[in-house]
Amino acid sequence: MSAPAPLPRPAGALTRRTVLTALGVAPVLLAVGCSADEPAGADAVTPAQVDQLAGQVAVQEELVAAYEVALVSAPEVAALADQARAQLTRLRAAAPSASGSPPSGAPSPGASSGPSSGPSPAPAAVAGDAVAARATLRTQVATAATSHATACVGFSGARAALLGSIAAGLRGQDGQLT
Amino acid sequence: MTGPGDSTGTPATTSPTTSAEAGSARAEDAALQDALAAEHAAVWGYGTVGAALTPGTRGEVVAAQEAHRDLRDRVGALLLDRGAEPVAARPAYALPFPLLSEVDACRLAAVLEEGTTAAWVWVLDQAAQRTTRELAVVEASAAEVRAVTWRARAGLSPVTAATPGLPA
Repeated sequence: MSAPAPLPRPAGALTRRTVLTALGVAPVLLAVGCSADEPAGADAVTPAQVDQLAGQVAVQEELVAAYEVALVSAPEVAALADQARAQLTRLRAAAPSASGSPPSGAPSPGASSGPSSGPSPAPAAVAGDAVAARATLRTQVATAATSHATACVGFSGARAALLGSIAAGLRGQDGQLT
Repeated sequence: MTGPGDSTGTPATTSPTTSAEAGSARAEDAALQDALAAEHAAVWGYGTVGAALTPGTRGEVVAAQEAHRDLRDRVGALLLDRGAEPVAARPAYALPFPLLSEVDACRLAAVLEEGTTAAWVWVLDQAAQRTTRELAVVEASAAEVRAVTWRARAGLSPVTAATPGLPA
């Protein structure tokens, strides 16, 4: 009888050069021994997708701003805020423009190729009320997650994976804000 | 990035599971096979988790196992429709650590969900079709939500992850 198969574990390394480049961790490339000659393939982006990526960066920036507002009255969300910032860093690294604001001429929010349903600005009125702050933040986290998940399916390759992963991470945060 | 493991349940390695270019039909099928292997492992693993928990805490185990079983069947059917032979479950799987307590069982459940999250994020990376990405993003999110629950029960910190399924 053959030995039992080990249970799958989460992926622990990168191999795709495009992913490494996009996420700013190129030194890992040699460590995992992958080819440096791989074509862009699924990670190529169209001009419209560049705009959309910039839009998703803007969505995440709004979420990070919302966390900053919520932290005033709900400091216990600090760890979640750190994760939102980490997500923003990775999104910026993956976005060719990396500015966070839609480039000139980009469709406005709500347009078909713009950011999809990003969080609305955090109302300043929530400061001082932890319960209200968490409730407002939860709505914004859920909205951002939906936005990233919706955008994700319009991409391929590493950017689809990153947007989908961030959406999943925000779904996980959502439940912690009840 | 590497895949979550090969189609027989082998843990992640430094080699991708397919030499097909990401975004090709072949790469998508290979990633779906990896996801199916992870779902097989999760169905099996939740049986072990449930046996290690007291009856009052088994409700979520049953729900999670059913979710993975349903998804396993769905992915298997999808692969069959494409003319691919779905990877089969292994007769048994090696536990990553001994289950000596309920906390260990919750840790194992978190590991199972992290494995399936990684598998579905890998599908996102490799997928050719929009419908496949739609499935993958929903399932990656569902797995991460369950993982958060189990990490909390196991006393792990942090209970959430910024980019689940991707290297930190």
